[in-house]
Amino acid sequence: MISQLFILSSKGDRLVYRNFRGDGGDDVTDAFYRAVTSLPGDRAPVFMAREGRHFVHVRHGGLYVGATTTADTSPFVLVEFLNRLVTLLREHCGTLSEKSVSVNVALVHELLGEMVDFGYIQTTATEVLRSATHGEPETTKAFSLLDLRSVGLFGAETQQSKVAPGSVTNRPVLPPRGEQGGRSEVFVDVVERLTVVIAANGTPLNVDVQGEIRLKSFVPGGCELRMGLTEELSVGTEEQRGYGRLPLAAVAFHSSVDLEEFEQERVLRVTPGPGEELSSPEQTAELQGGGRCLRWAIPRCQGGAQLGAVFRVQLPPTPPLGLGPAALTFELPALTVSGLRLRWLRLSAPPGAPPGPPQRWVRHLTHSDSYVVRL
Amino acid sequence: MSPRCHPSLYWNTHSCPTPSGLSPEKTEPLTVPRGASPCHIPTSRLQGGWHLGPRSILVALLGCHCNSTRSPASAALSTLTWCRHDDLKEMLDSNKDSLKLEAMKRIVAMIARGKNASDLFPAVVKNVACKNIEVKKLVYVYLVRYAEEQQDLALLSISTFQRGLKDPNQLIRASALRVLSSIRVPIIVPIMMLAIKEAASDMSPYVRKTAAHAIPKLYSLDSDQKDQLIEVIEKLLADKTTLVAGSVVMAFEEVCPERIDLIHKNYRKLCNLLIDVEEWGQVVIINMLTRYARTQFLSPNQNESLLEESAEKAFYGSEEEDTKDAKAEAASLAKRKPYVMDPDHRLLLRNTKPLLQSRNAAVVMAVAQLYFHLAPKAEVGVIAKALVRLLRSHSEVQYVVLQNVATMSIKRRGMFEPYLKSFYIRSTDPTQIKILKLEVLTNLANETNISTILREFQTYIRSMDKDFVAATIQAIGRCATNIGKVRDTCLNGLVQLLSNRDELVVAESVVVIKKLLQMQPAQHSEIIKHMAKLTDNIQVPMARASILWLIGEYCEHVPKIAPDVLRKMAKSFTNEEDIVKLQVINLAAKLYLTNSKQSKLLTQYVLNLAKYDQNYDIRDRARFIRQLIVPTEKSGALNKYAKKLFLAQKPAPILESSFKDRDHFQLGSLSHLLNAKAVGYQELPDWPDEAPDPSVRNVEVRGTPRCTWDILRLGHLAGVLGELQKVPHIPSLSDSEESGSSSSSGTSSSSSEEEDEEEEEEGSGEQSEEKEGEEEEEKRKKRKEKGGLRKASPGSAGR
Repeated sequence: MISQLFILSSKGDRLVYRNFRGDGGDDVTDAFYRAVTSLPGDRAPVFMAREGRHFVHVRHGGLYVGATTTADTSPFVLVEFLNRLVTLLREHCGTLSEKSVSVNVALVHELLGEMVDFGYIQTTATEVLRSATHGEPETTKAFSLLDLRSVGLFGAETQQSKVAPGSVTNRPVLPPRGEQGGRSEVFVDVVERLTVVIAANGTPLNVDVQGEIRLKSFVPGGCELRMGLTEELSVGTEEQRGYGRLPLAAVAFHSSVDLEEFEQERVLRVTPGPGEELSSPEQTAELQGGGRCLRWAIPRCQGGAQLGAVFRVQLPPTPPLGLGPAALTFELPALTVSGLRLRWLRLSAPPGAPPGPPQRWVRHLTHSDSYVVRL
Repeated sequence: MSPRCHPSLYWNTHSCPTPSGLSPEKTEPLTVPRGASPCHIPTSRLQGGWHLGPRSILVALLGCHCNSTRSPASAALSTLTWCRHDDLKEMLDSNKDSLKLEAMKRIVAMIARGKNASDLFPAVVKNVACKNIEVKKLVYVYLVRYAEEQQDLALLSISTFQRGLKDPNQLIRASALRVLSSIRVPIIVPIMMLAIKEAASDMSPYVRKTAAHAIPKLYSLDSDQKDQLIEVIEKLLADKTTLVAGSVVMAFEEVCPERIDLIHKNYRKLCNLLIDVEEWGQVVIINMLTRYARTQFLSPNQNESLLEESAEKAFYGSEEEDTKDAKAEAASLAKRKPYVMDPDHRLLLRNTKPLLQSRNAAVVMAVAQLYFHLAPKAEVGVIAKALVRLLRSHSEVQYVVLQNVATMSIKRRGMFEPYLKSFYIRSTDPTQIKILKLEVLTNLANETNISTILREFQTYIRSMDKDFVAATIQAIGRCATNIGKVRDTCLNGLVQLLSNRDELVVAESVVVIKKLLQMQPAQHSEIIKHMAKLTDNIQVPMARASILWLIGEYCEHVPKIAPDVLRKMAKSFTNEEDIVKLQVINLAAKLYLTNSKQSKLLTQYVLNLAKYDQNYDIRDRARFIRQLIVPTEKSGALNKYAKKLFLAQKPAPILESSFKDRDHFQLGSLSHLLNAKAVGYQELPDWPDEAPDPSVRNVEVRGTPRCTWDILRLGHLAGVLGELQKVPHIPSLSDSEESGSSSSSGTSSSSSEEEDEEEEEEGSGEQSEEKEGEEEEEKRKKRKEKGGLRKASPGSAGR
């Protein structure tokens, strides 16, 4: 169970504070902030014990989203709840930033009231919360340079701060009351993350691709959305893993996905609730690293082309131990390494939707989560 | 909320540039007498003071700036704090909902920032009966926050809630109960008790759920009510709806976790409902059932425990141990000594297994710990895959999962061996996670995979992250002690590291080599000599101390070098760290005993230096050693045994995992994570020796079977779903679904608040059904999710 819940700005100012169980004073956030800032760098452990209570926090968008507990609560519950809370706040306030939270304090409180009762988590389901809350989100200015830093791609910690968020999606999912519609748009992203380790002799040691399909819908009202995936998809060992097939080790779907046609036709049917995040579709592939880095920017690359580059690094005559593995960071737009693609996307327009067909945006993207070549 | 309330924004409007060279820390501290009017403070000062000055004053100032008036210019003139909320009060008293709403939003924002808004209590409480739901909810937030401070005034609101409890609309009943039970005013305890009792037999499951949530609140307010509350819990435990199950178990866990007997009759029902319960409720129920099973069933591994020692190695030692073999082994064991698992025990294991697919990490871990603590050894393996899957989640989740995997991998190494590669360290992992992964890799190391793991470790040593490199070197040391085969390889590798450029790497290697050498010193005098040379260069105290200890301990292996090292150290003695000084004294004493001819004077010299050291530990040690080793006429019997005392054979250190003893805490608990008992931790009981009577769980079947009930309900579903969409204020929620419903008359898109309110009351007769319908729908969704690729349940065809 949760004793207190708070959201602090990066400077330690209290944006939201809720004391669910009436225990503990009002100074816990200060104690927390002191504890966090006394640690060097980003080393703050997820769990900290101070003054008889346990703090757990996650950091998103420069904010500390934290909770305290005085009892032996499952740490997974706490961490998972905070992460859900962050997602929900994003959905309701558009973006998660100091400004959007402080403008929407009343709404956030209302949400918290529905989610947590006396420190017990009641529900985090968007649909339930949507029907239970009545506040309206106030939008903040969609895009500012300051926010750039904090917005990673899909919440991932990308090293590339250049990934500008498409300001189109930085708005609350719920349309303001009375203002019916706006543009109805659907954004679908097929993202794959690579975790690859290649040995010094060129053999891959570990290759792991983790993909996800993310959907963010701005279509007012419930409409059915159908998407067709690559037909060669086979899940687990249910079918033979022949040539040209696309085997997936495991899949997991959101509860609102209707899988009726999935097995036969690889079609997902979704009645979208408000969805996730998105960033701008323009990317360039490039190669870059940390402190000792080498950058190779490829502005455009034609299909089927192969690009090569030879880098010769002159090292001072020191022991070879100084030369570590090479880590590659890159993003490939319009490509998924596994070959999973969205064949088509259909929307059944809801009655009362604004005129005109809804806009559909589909993106494929491969992101190098951890791509290491041993030297 | 007006943006002016935001302090940073407010200051920005002044846009008064501080001189860039002058950092705020260097400005004069804010020296304003507390009573002074704020308008006397130059703004630029204030800006500087914002970063460092007495915060309390500033906050107070800001408070009056923000809340008194609308324009910042006039705000600065207002110094009368007692009337600062006048405008808010005015707004609250107006009869326009929009003004009230605006006022309440500002007040809630004040609460959120931790500002005191208690003087508004009377003005706010008046609005508790406000028709506008949005205003009402914000009033509730306020009320719950301040009721404890203003008990008398809070009582004014009670009658509103009592009326609400009788409302025909279940949502209103529930919310009235929720707020009423959150008001921490002791005088209303009897009212709360009554309300909870009534709500517990409400026809709406949503209200019953709220009643379950209210139980711990009342209990914390007045623990004398425990007996009555237990009665309510008992009643609610018998509830057959999934909505209530999770909440009542939460109440059970807080109020009377010791009354395990209350669970007996409901055990099978809870097991069967589990998959449909709301995910946060699942976690609580699974944890409770784990404890229950530990007290009611016999250990499934009791037969194996005898053979464990011998079997363990053969079981998990080989590389690709198939689960089939394991099962066969278990089966053969079972044949020899009959153990039959209680069918209820089996039921629990079977019904929780599909939850390993849950999207919620907390549920996955709850099931994982249940299997770890309750399942027969051969079956525990199924959780490994689910846990490895969690490693792809957020880094915070990874951190907690790895802690648990580290503990499990000590006991059940075989379980995670197939997933060895999943624990390879990624270049993007944060340090904490890297170190935990190292821990797991080290635990998984055995003779067959050690070469792979060592190759991995070699690459990790080149990392830029120094903490991680240090941890890797220690991990190598642990592998070397655990697996004799690779000890020499590891030692050679570590010796190579001694020529690394980075001093930290060298120091860490020295410490680990020291530990390894202790195991077989005779063969390694070369390494000791090599390390003796390092004393000239290494500055890290811990490493220097380790080298000195090593030379002292094995001075007989390096008879020529040891006195010379002592000579050098005697020279630099005064500049050394304390920990090094102590080892210098040790070295001197040992040399004195073995080679007094060469080192007598040196020892005297060192002891004299130590005698006048600033640190009393060092002075003490010097005095003690002098008495012990230097023979005088007064020295006692111990003198004769000095050599035996100092140069006794010392046992080699055992390098073991810091997670070794963590498993006495229940996995997945906070105590396990902290490795310390957290408040409220409930120890996982040991298996009983004799099985308690299983018949206590028998329930006589009566009434209609559940499935029939389900179908009946589903029949209503189409209509009910339509009703559901009538929830006010969220127009166009899902219009497409609505087209199928018969009563979509009231789903106006932008009706005024009052209309909405009326509508809600009109429809309230059906609302209790609605809620059940909603629950039903939720259930179906859950099932779909659980079933993975299974076909959706038939209910959805109706949509």
